[in-house]
Amino acid sequence: MANQGPAYYSPYPTATYEGVITPPEGKALLLEEVVEEEKAMREVARVMLTSENATIFPGPQVLYAYNEEASKKATLIKEMAEVLNAKMIPMYDYRPKYPKIDAEVEINPNHPNLTIWHNKIKAAIFIGVHCHYANVALKIVRAETDCYTIAICGLSGHEDAMATLRDQHSSELAKFIKIAREVKSELKL
Amino acid sequence: MSKITDMTATKNWSGQTLVTADHMLFEAPRTKHFMTGSEVLKEAVKRCTVDASVSYPITPQSEAAHLIGELWAEGYVGMYFRGENEFGVMAEVAGCAMAGSRTITTTSGPGTLRAMENFPQWSGTRIPCQLILMARGINSPLTIQPDNLEVTFMLETGCMIWYAENVQELFDMSIAAFIVAEKPDVHVPIVTVVDGFFVSHTRESVMLPEDDIALFPYEPYKSPLPPIDSETPPGRFLRDPFVMKSNYISYATHASWQWEVRSAVERSRPYAEHFLGGLLHETGDLDAEIAFITCGTASHQAKEGQRELAKLGIKSKVIKLRTIRPFPTKELVKSLEGIKHAWVPEFNVVGWLEKEVKTALYGKSDTNIIGGPRVAGGMSLPAEAIIQEVMEVLNPGKGA
Amino acid sequence: MAIDIYKINPEFRDIMPQEIIDLEENATWAQNQKKPRGIKELPDTKELLEEHSLCAGCPEAAALRYVLAALPKPEETIIVNSTGCTSLMFPHIALHTVHSLFGNQNAVASGIKRSLAWRFPDKVKDVVVLAGDGATVDIGLDYTLQSFFRQEKITTICFDNEVYANTGGQESGMTPKGQVFKMAPEGKKFEKVKMWELATTSGCHYSINMTASAPKAVAKAVREAILIARDIGPTYLNIYTPCILEIGLSANEGLGEMKDQDKDRFASYKYVSDEAAAHLIKCKEEGLL
Repeated sequence: MANQGPAYYSPYPTATYEGVITPPEGKALLLEEVVEEEKAMREVARVMLTSENATIFPGPQVLYAYNEEASKKATLIKEMAEVLNAKMIPMYDYRPKYPKIDAEVEINPNHPNLTIWHNKIKAAIFIGVHCHYANVALKIVRAETDCYTIAICGLSGHEDAMATLRDQHSSELAKFIKIAREVKSELKL
Repeated sequence: MSKITDMTATKNWSGQTLVTADHMLFEAPRTKHFMTGSEVLKEAVKRCTVDASVSYPITPQSEAAHLIGELWAEGYVGMYFRGENEFGVMAEVAGCAMAGSRTITTTSGPGTLRAMENFPQWSGTRIPCQLILMARGINSPLTIQPDNLEVTFMLETGCMIWYAENVQELFDMSIAAFIVAEKPDVHVPIVTVVDGFFVSHTRESVMLPEDDIALFPYEPYKSPLPPIDSETPPGRFLRDPFVMKSNYISYATHASWQWEVRSAVERSRPYAEHFLGGLLHETGDLDAEIAFITCGTASHQAKEGQRELAKLGIKSKVIKLRTIRPFPTKELVKSLEGIKHAWVPEFNVVGWLEKEVKTALYGKSDTNIIGGPRVAGGMSLPAEAIIQEVMEVLNPGKGA
Repeated sequence: MAIDIYKINPEFRDIMPQEIIDLEENATWAQNQKKPRGIKELPDTKELLEEHSLCAGCPEAAALRYVLAALPKPEETIIVNSTGCTSLMFPHIALHTVHSLFGNQNAVASGIKRSLAWRFPDKVKDVVVLAGDGATVDIGLDYTLQSFFRQEKITTICFDNEVYANTGGQESGMTPKGQVFKMAPEGKKFEKVKMWELATTSGCHYSINMTASAPKAVAKAVREAILIARDIGPTYLNIYTPCILEIGLSANEGLGEMKDQDKDRFASYKYVSDEAAAHLIKCKEEGLL
C-alpha cells in the first residue's frame, strides 16, 4: 500500500483507488512495489522484530481445527509468534459485538483500530482471516492507526496491507519462519 | 438426474472433461456453427459446469432461460427452477451462490428493474454469480424492443459489467465471466450485457469448441466470505450483519465494505485483460483523427459508419468498450491520443455511455466528446445517422 | 465435518475467549447427544445465542432461545432471517445465518436449501426461516407463499408481534382490527391475516398458531416442523412474541400477555397433513422426537 496511516477519518482512498492491486502469482507487495516473495518475507520479519508490540491476529481459518491444513498452520503460527517475539490476539469471529469488544484480548473486523490503539500495536500480521473481512479491517486500520499491517494470505493477497504475501500455505509459512530466524539472528535479537 | 457425486478429478457430473478457462478459450480447437445469442448462451453454459440456474420469463430473455432449463433436463446443469418474479429469482440466485453454487440467471428491462434491490446485495455479499442481461426498453410506455437504458441503473450496483457486441463475444465472455468473477480477490457478481433481439435473436456464425469439455467447478472455499453451508469457520457467522448496531466506529465498516466491493471490481482488470484481450478493442484506421466510442451492437453500426466514411476519404476508428465496470479509463485515454472528435452512438435516450466517457476523461484528454447519435425504443441505428453526425462537425452546414 | 468448525486448535486455546471454548465443550450439538435436544438443557449448557440487543423482557429473545434449543441438528442448520427486531439477534447466533433483504427470506432460503441438497446429497442440512410478521406476511408474502407452493423443504417461523416494531410501531397485516398504531391513527381497518390458514391451504404439511408462553410447546413444534420439512415439505409456525414496548407493557408483563392470548387471537391452531403425521410417528420410533 502506498502510504502508511493515519490517513483520514474515513477509510478512503483505498489502495485500488490509487492504482495498487493484489500482486501477481509468485510475487508479493511491499507498500506499492511488487517484489519477490523472499524479499517481502525478510522485510516483514524485520518490521515485526523491530516494532513495538508486534502482534499476530489469527483468524477463523487457522483458529479452528476444521481440516488438516488449519491444524498444520496453527502449529506454525505458534512457532512464528515465538520467533517474532509477537503477541497473538484472535479474530475468532466477524460479528459486530454487542455492546463492545474487549480490546485487550480480541480483535474484531468492524473496529480493528480499537485493539490496535489499546495495545499500542505498531506492526501486525493478519493470517487466516477471510479475505473480505481482512480487507474491510485493513482499510479501517490504515485510516485510523499508524500500525504497519502485514497480510499473510492463502489466496491472492491484500493490497490494503502495507506488506502482502499471497498463496501462503503451510509450506510457505515454514519458509517464512526460517527466514525470520535468519533475520532475527542478523539483527542480533 | 445428474449428481454432484458423479464428478471426478477429471470429469464433471455430466461426463465432460474438465479444462481450464485458458484451454477452453484459447487452445481448444473450434468449429463453425450458425446460432442465435440465446442458443450460443446455452452452448456456453453447457461448457461451464454450472451448479444452478433460476429463471423467470420475460421478452426477449425467455428463450435463453428455456434453453438453460433444457441443459438441466439433459444433466449438464445441477439444478434449475422457475422463480416467482425477478425479485424472487435474484434472491434465489443469492441463496444458491452464497451456499456455494456456480449460478447463472438472465433477465431483461422491466425484470432488471423489478429485481434491482438484489444487485447491490449480491455485490455486498460477494457472490460471483452471473447475470446475462438481454437489454430491452423499460416502461412507460411498454416496449419489448431493444434499448439499453436499463444498463444505467446497473452502473453503481457494485457488480462488474461486461458488454458483448455479438453472438461470438457473448459465448466467449459468458465463459470468461465465471472465471473472473470467481477469482478470490474479485469475487463479485458479473453482469454480461447484450442488446436484446439484436444479439439474442439474431443468427450469426460462431466458432465453438467441442462440447465434451467444460470448466473446472467453482471452488466455494476460496470465497472471500465463508460459504453458507456450516462447513467453514467461524461457526457463529451472519452473512451479512447489521453494522450500525455496535458503536460509532461501525459506520467505518459500512464505508470500508462499500469501498472493498468497488476495490474488488478494480482487481478484475488484469484478469479481464487476459481473457478478453483488452478492456477495449480498436478497429478501423488507427491513425485517424476521429473516433467512435461504443459498446454492444452500437459498435457494429459504428464500424459500418467507419467503412462508409473511409469510402469518402475520411479516416476514423471504432473504440469498443468491452468492460463498463471496471471502466477502461487508462486504455481509453491512450486510445484517444491524437483524436480530435469522438462520438458516442447509443441505443438509449439518456446517453449514459457518453456521461461515463466524459466523467472518465475529464482533465485527462483533449478530445472533443460528442454524444450521439442516439436511438431508442427499438429503432435501429443506421450508419447514415452516424455519418450525418460526423459530417455536421467536419463539414458544417453542408451535410454528407 | 461441520461440528469441527467449532473445535479450537490447541495452539490457540489459551487466547480464545471463554464463550468460544464453551461452545466447543458445553453446547448441545446433536452429534454429542444421545437424546433429542430440548429446552431442558438450557440452564446447564452453553446456549447458541451469545447475547442480544433487544429490549429488556422482550418475549422474542426468549422465543429465539427456545427455538435454538430445539433445533434437531444445529451444527447442520442454516437460519435465514429478514430485516426487523429479529435481525438484531442474528449476529450473535452461533450458526451460519443469513440476513439478505427485507422480505426475500423464503426466496433466499429456497436457493440455499436447493444448493445444499445439490452439494451435499448424503448429508442432512436443515434450512429454517425466522422472520417477523412484516417480513413474512406483508412485504415478503409472495415469497413466503411461493416457497410453500413450490414445496421447498424449509421451515418458516414467523415471530408475530403484530406490529412493525423495529421501525417504531407501525400497523402490519398481522395487527388485530381496531388497534391504533402509527400508520393506523384511527385504528386498523381490516382483520388480522390468518397466515397459519394460508400456510395450510398453500401446501404446508404442518402449520401452527401459538404463543411463546410455554417453552416446551414451542420446542416441540420447532422440532416437529423441522423434521417434517427435512423429509416431506414446507412447514410453518406462527408464534406470538408481543412487542411489550409498543403495547405499553412492562418488561415483566410479556409472559402474562402471551398467556392471555393463548385463549384469544392465538388460540391453538394445528394442521398436520396425513403424510406428515405418519412421518412424525416414524421419527418418534427412531428416537428423533
